[in-house]
Amino acid sequence: MLQTISFAGLEFSPLVILLPIAFCLVACTRFILHWLHLRERIWKVAWFEVALFFCYLAATVYLLGGR
Amino acid sequence: MKTVRVLITLLVILVAGVAGSWVWNDYMHSPWTRDGRVRADIITVAPDVSGWVTKLNIHNDQPVKKDQLLFEVDPLRYQAALAKSEATVETEKYALALAKHKYERRKQLVKTNSISLEDLEVARINTKVAEANYKLAQAELETAKLNLERTAVYAPESGDIINLNLRQGNYVKQGSSVLAIVKANSFYVTGYFEETKLPLIHLGQKAKVTLLGGGKALAGEVVSVGRAIANTNTQSNNQLLPQIQQTFNWVRLAQRIPVDIKLDSIPQGVQLSAGMTVSIHLSEQ
Repeated sequence: MLQTISFAGLEFSPLVILLPIAFCLVACTRFILHWLHLRERIWKVAWFEVALFFCYLAATVYLLGGR
Repeated sequence: MKTVRVLITLLVILVAGVAGSWVWNDYMHSPWTRDGRVRADIITVAPDVSGWVTKLNIHNDQPVKKDQLLFEVDPLRYQAALAKSEATVETEKYALALAKHKYERRKQLVKTNSISLEDLEVARINTKVAEANYKLAQAELETAKLNLERTAVYAPESGDIINLNLRQGNYVKQGSSVLAIVKANSFYVTGYFEETKLPLIHLGQKAKVTLLGGGKALAGEVVSVGRAIANTNTQSNNQLLPQIQQTFNWVRLAQRIPVDIKLDSIPQGVQLSAGMTVSIHLSEQ
């Protein structure tokens, strides 16, 4: 599980991996909603996607953070 | 329909707020740190006598057992000192016998008024002086024996030799460290936790220790929390004025407090060296 990322003797925060994962999940969701023609029906789509990003980030931290 | 759309977005925002708050607390207010180091008990070995190293029985990074011979210092000087002390003891022993003999004889003479009481008192004091000299010579003999014994230096504990720069033929000085031993099975971990996390840390708390090199996490528990760290503001200059460090008004860096963690066990195949970097997560309970 991800607690720290060790690369070439340097240690990074797991957020280095978790943030792109959350971003990819948001992109996937956006694509799926667009494909289903639901995206245009969302109220304040920008707010929705930013909020979704935080939800995905918390989920990845919880699931991959070694808890 | 519009209400449902608004509610869905608001619900997602609400959940995001809770989730964001949880992530923030998880990173900032839970007892964990990446600033941990593996440590061990290090024993520095110094000879108790000076002299040339005539025999070096070890090499660098070698495991040694307790009481194993490490090296020997040239014993010739200490053998001579022992012989001298033995001779001194013998001399003082006979000097004491002579003094006692004189005193006993004078005790008889004083009865017949052949000598004065003062002469008798001088003989008595001479006996005491000879007795003290004899004890002094015996003590010096013990010291000489000890010095000779200590020309052979043995391992005070089992462990591994570290950073051995000693070579056969080197001159070693009494009390100067020449090698160090990492005591066997003495590895522990010190985590440097921010002072803001200290209220979350208590003795006996379970810890999960992850090495920078990866591998299975090690288990341990908190055994001590440091009660003091150095304060740079207490230093003085050459006029004994306090040297106060400037700080930014709005930014304060949390101090790091050392917390010692005893490892429950070290699994087979895990290679620990004092100084390695570890991450430490303490249980929340």
